[in-house]
Amino acid sequence: MSSHREIEVMANLLQSNDVQAEVNRKHFKKNKCLAINIMGSPGAGKTTLLERTLLHVTEQYGVAVIEGDIFTSKDADRIAEHHVPVVQINTGGGCHLDSKMVEKVLPEFQWEKLDLMIIENVGNLVCPADFDLGEEFKVVVLSVVEGDDKPSKYPVIFRNSKVAILNKMDLLPLVEADLDIMKNDIRKINPEIQIFEISCRTGEGIQAWTEWLGKQVKQAKGRM
Amino acid sequence: MHEISLMSGVFEVIEATLSQLTIKKVTQVKLKIGKLTNAEPDALTFAFEAYSKGTVCEGAELLVEIVPVRGQCKNCGEEFLVQELLFFCPKCKHSGIEVIQGEELLLESLEVE
Repeated sequence: MSSHREIEVMANLLQSNDVQAEVNRKHFKKNKCLAINIMGSPGAGKTTLLERTLLHVTEQYGVAVIEGDIFTSKDADRIAEHHVPVVQINTGGGCHLDSKMVEKVLPEFQWEKLDLMIIENVGNLVCPADFDLGEEFKVVVLSVVEGDDKPSKYPVIFRNSKVAILNKMDLLPLVEADLDIMKNDIRKINPEIQIFEISCRTGEGIQAWTEWLGKQVKQAKGRM
Repeated sequence: MHEISLMSGVFEVIEATLSQLTIKKVTQVKLKIGKLTNAEPDALTFAFEAYSKGTVCEGAELLVEIVPVRGQCKNCGEEFLVQELLFFCPKCKHSGIEVIQGEELLLESLEVE
């Protein structure tokens, strides 16, 4: 005779990730370092944005980078050319970074010298949005050439981000994408989001973004 | 395919839950998944079947309940169903909306034998 019974569990599937993310968050706070998590599809321009950003912020602030990539160290090599401490995490097929991967590389940095830690996630508009790494906020990079339907098709990443960066603005006249649709949809999903329109190629809009980011670094220092 | 990572969370929770119990097998696993996550039921089922091979969960039924998104207006307190991810209060049109339901990634219950 078999006896079936039900066991009530109600446990969060991301529990172990979320617990580790809180530990990471405390680590960043203790070291008075603003950590941000940059996400976006492959080819949106995350690494190029990072390179442009570094040109503007490294004079004033101590910056380091964690590079997430599935297999290669190509992005980390690009960042290293800017004389910024960078550590590569290879996920070995994994489609996102998680908080434990980030924790493992934290001892590799000289934290007393850092004000800003930029984590570049694996290129993907889906999975990274669900995984808290312990960052202060998330930034989603979308290039306008990807199409104006992307915010409504991938709403979670826009809902969970504090900033949306619309890149490759210089290419807008060449494609069918409607910038107004793109921005309206982003604001419908997340009315409090900060939107920057930039072109990493021409430099358009980069200054507004880096000035805003610099303010966040200062504010975070004051709070911590 | 981050459903694979989520499934590793499912099995961590199952292991922890069953560690103190003597059971023959798990016959049903119930998940509650918010619409405002990126988890897809078919991919979860696929991942569950792969993960459960050779465990007490092999052959168990996976039930995935999708939880709709509900928001509460930070201005007037109105609670409402968020349709098509429009985060605006239907009553006062305020855009500061707190998500009160729809972000769940939960293992609700297990049925065991």
